[in-house]
Amino acid sequence: MKTPITLRINGQDYEIVVEGRTRLLDAIRDLCDLTGTKEGCATGDCGACTVLMDGQPIASCLTFAMAAQGKELTTIEGLARDGRLHPLQEEFMRHGGLQCGICTPGMILSAKALLDANPRPTREEVRFALAGNLCRCTGYQKIVEAVLAASERLSTG
Amino acid sequence: MVDTVVVGQRVPRVDALDKVTGRAKYTADLKLPGMLYGAFLRSPHAHARIKRIDTSKAEALPGVKAVLTQAKLAGRVAKIVDEAHGTAMDFKAFADTKVTYQGEKIAAVAAVSREIAEEAVRLIEVEYELLPAVVDPREAVRPGAPIIHEGLKPCPGPDGTPLVNVLRVVDRVEGDVEDAFARSDYIFEDTYVIPRAHQSYIEPQVAIAEVDPAGRVTCWTSTQGIFSVRNNLARTLDIPPHKINVIGMTIGGGFGAKFGGVVDTYAVMLAQATGRPVKIVYTREEEFLDGRPAPGLVITIKTGVRKDGKILARKAIAFWDVGVQGGGAGATQRVRGVYDIPNIEFHGYDVATNKPPTGAYRAPGGPQATFASEAQLNKIAHALGLDPVEFRLMNMREGPEVDFKKTLRAVADAAGWWSRTKGPNEGWGVAIGEWTNGSAASSAVCSLQEDGSLKIFSGLMDITGTDTAMAQIAAEVTGVSYDRVSVVRGDTNSVPMAPGSGGSMITFSMGNAVKRAAEEVRQRILEVASDMLEARPEDLDLRDNRVTVRGAPDRAVTLAEVAQQAAKTTGGPIAGKGSFAREPSATTIAAQIVKVEVEPDSGKVWVRRVVGSLDCGRAINPMAVEGQMEGGAAQGIGWGLWEQMVYAPDGRILNPGFLDYHIPTALDLPDIESVLVEVPT
Repeated sequence: MKTPITLRINGQDYEIVVEGRTRLLDAIRDLCDLTGTKEGCATGDCGACTVLMDGQPIASCLTFAMAAQGKELTTIEGLARDGRLHPLQEEFMRHGGLQCGICTPGMILSAKALLDANPRPTREEVRFALAGNLCRCTGYQKIVEAVLAASERLSTG
Repeated sequence: MVDTVVVGQRVPRVDALDKVTGRAKYTADLKLPGMLYGAFLRSPHAHARIKRIDTSKAEALPGVKAVLTQAKLAGRVAKIVDEAHGTAMDFKAFADTKVTYQGEKIAAVAAVSREIAEEAVRLIEVEYELLPAVVDPREAVRPGAPIIHEGLKPCPGPDGTPLVNVLRVVDRVEGDVEDAFARSDYIFEDTYVIPRAHQSYIEPQVAIAEVDPAGRVTCWTSTQGIFSVRNNLARTLDIPPHKINVIGMTIGGGFGAKFGGVVDTYAVMLAQATGRPVKIVYTREEEFLDGRPAPGLVITIKTGVRKDGKILARKAIAFWDVGVQGGGAGATQRVRGVYDIPNIEFHGYDVATNKPPTGAYRAPGGPQATFASEAQLNKIAHALGLDPVEFRLMNMREGPEVDFKKTLRAVADAAGWWSRTKGPNEGWGVAIGEWTNGSAASSAVCSLQEDGSLKIFSGLMDITGTDTAMAQIAAEVTGVSYDRVSVVRGDTNSVPMAPGSGGSMITFSMGNAVKRAAEEVRQRILEVASDMLEARPEDLDLRDNRVTVRGAPDRAVTLAEVAQQAAKTTGGPIAGKGSFAREPSATTIAAQIVKVEVEPDSGKVWVRRVVGSLDCGRAINPMAVEGQMEGGAAQGIGWGLWEQMVYAPDGRILNPGFLDYHIPTALDLPDIESVLVEVPT
C-alpha cells in the first residue's frame, strides 16, 4: 500500500509516497534525490548508508522510511551550512581521510555524532565510534587523524 | 633530488571536496529516463547439469521487458573474455548445459523495477542434475576428481604423474636445485595454505547501459579502466569499438576486481534487447557469489641453506585455487623474492575448482606466494638463530638500480627493531614484498585556458589520488598554481588512450604522459612570453601563474595574458599532448614490521604495532603514498589474520557477507606508521 509521508531532512520537508517496505535509504536516495548517502551491503554491516536520526547515527538500509517520520534527519548534504564546510569535512580533506570516497559520507556523519556527544574524544574513542563504518582504502589512519583534528578545532573554537 | 614547488607536497586531493560533501557521482547515483533494472538468476549448486530452463512465467510477469539466457543469445555471444587482468577468462555469458560454481549466471532479467526483476528471477524454472563438486585444489588435480571443464586434457605433474583440472602450468628451472640441496647444511620444507580473499570494495559492481537505434552503446560504469571495458564489450558483443562510449563514474574502490565483464556486458545485452537503458547493481551477496576474488594457494616450498645463513636453493610447487577460470601460476615466481638464490625451480598450476572465477587483487598472486615465502624465511632465521632482518640483508640481491637494503634498514630503524622488547605473549615479525611499476601506453592532453588555468584531459580512472598527482606534475612543469589545475576525466569518446588503473601503472605511465604534455605547454608559454617580454626563453622563470625575466622581477606577464596573446598568434591557443609507451621501471620493495600480542585462551592475534617502509622513487604526494601503504597494511592484516572465503565441501560459500567475511574495522587496527624511502630510480 502506498502511503504519503513527510521526511524532514537537513531542515527541509520532503513529501513523498512510500510503501511499508520502503527503506529509509531508498527514500533518501531515490525519492528525495539525495544521493550522497551510499549503499554498500544492505545488511547494516558496512555503514555506508549512515545518516543521523535525531542526532544518532543509524543504518538507513535497516530502517523503514515510515519509521523516520517526525524525526530530524541529517545526511551528508546537510553538513555544510551557509556555504561553509563543517570542520570534519575540512579535516578529512586536509588529512587525506578519504580515497575512493564511498564510505566518506557515512564516516563523517558517524564522526559528527561522536563529536556532538563527546567533543574531545580519545583516539580509542574515535576508533570505537567509527567501528561500524567500513573503509577498505585507508586503513583508517588518516580518518582517525582527521577526526581528532576536527575535535581540536571545534573545542578550541 | 630535484628542487620542486608542488611535487612532493601534501596537497589535498583534487576530488576531496566532492567526496566530503556527497556530491561525487557514483554509477548507482544515476537515473536515466525510462531506465530498467536488471537482476540475475544464479545457480544454487556448484556443479550440476542443466536439464531444462523455462522462462515463460518470468516473461509473462507484468513489468518484465526481457529475459535473456544463453539459448536466446545463440550465434551472437559466444564468450566473454576478460584479458585485463592478464588472466584470460573464457566462458559463456550464461550457463546453459552445465553450471560449474554456485552463483553462476543462468539468466538475466530487465524489468521496470528492481523488485519486479527479482520476482521474475524467482519465476524461472531450472531443472538440475547434481554432480559431485571439488573445492580443494589438491583434490581437484588428482585423477578421478570431478572434471570441471570437459575436454581439458590431463597434464604431467611435478613428479610425472598426470594431473587433471589444470588450466595452465608455469615451470621454471634455473641451476640445479637437487645438487644444491645435497650441498646444503639444512633443508626446510613447508606447506602453506592461503585462502581466497575478496577485494571487498565498499561500492559493489555496477553499470548502466543504453543503446541507440543505430546500435551505438553508452555505458556508465564503475571501472578501473574505461578502455578495458570498451574493448571487452567490443570483443564479446561484436560491436566496433568506435560505436561504444564508456563513461567512468567515480569508482568506489576496485583493488583489481573492476576491469569489466562482471555486470557491464549484461547491462548492454539487456539494453540491446529492450531498447531502454538498463541498470545493474550487484548486491553484496552477489559480490561473494560471482565477483572476481583473489585465488587461494596451496604451496610447498623447499629451501636449502648453508650454516651461515646463505640460501643455496629453493623449489616450490604451487596449486592455485583459481575457480572455474583465472590465473595465479605466474606469480609462483615471487618465491624468489628480492633474494639472490643461485638455484631455483618452481612449478605453478592454475587449478580449476567449483568456485567463482578469480581476478586481480593488489599485486595479483603476490600476497599469496610472498606470504608463504617470507613466513618460511622467518622460520629458517629462527631455526638458525639468525636475526630475521640480518638474514634477509645477507641474502638480498643487489644491483645498480635497486637498493632493497636501504628500505629494509629504514623500517627496522623506525620500528626500533634493534632494541626491541616484548612482554608476555608478544612477538615481532618482519616481511618484505616486491613489485615493479606497471608500464603501458598512455596519453594525455593539457590545455592552458584564457584565464591562465590549466586543464588536463585524460582517460585515467582515479581511485588512489592519481588525478591529484597528475595535477601536481602539470603544475610543477607549467608554473600554473596547483589550485588552478583541473583534471578532466574523459570518456572513451573524448580522450586518447589510457591504461587501466592497476598494477601500479598510472603515476608512472600516465604521469610521464602528463609531464610530456605539460612540457609542450611550457615550451609554448616560453615562446609567447619571450615575444611579449622581449627576452630570451632561457632567461624566463615560470612560477606562481607568472612568467618573469630572471633577475628583473618587474618584467613579468601572467599566464592568463600569455594564453590570451597566444590565441592571437599564428600558433594559436596553447595546448600540449604527451604520450608514453612501455618503458622499464626498476623493482622496488615494501618492508613491514609488526608487533603482535596473542590472547592465550582464544588464540586471537592483536596487531599492536605496524611499521611499513616503501621505496616509492619520488613521492609526488607523500600523503597519497602513505594512504596506499596504510590501506595495503590494513588489507594485509585482514587477509593474514581473518579474511577467507569459506566453502562447504559441496561448493557453497558459507560467508557471503560482511558479517561473516570480516574486513578490518577501525577497532581492529593499531595506528599504522609509514616510512617513505625515496630511492631515485
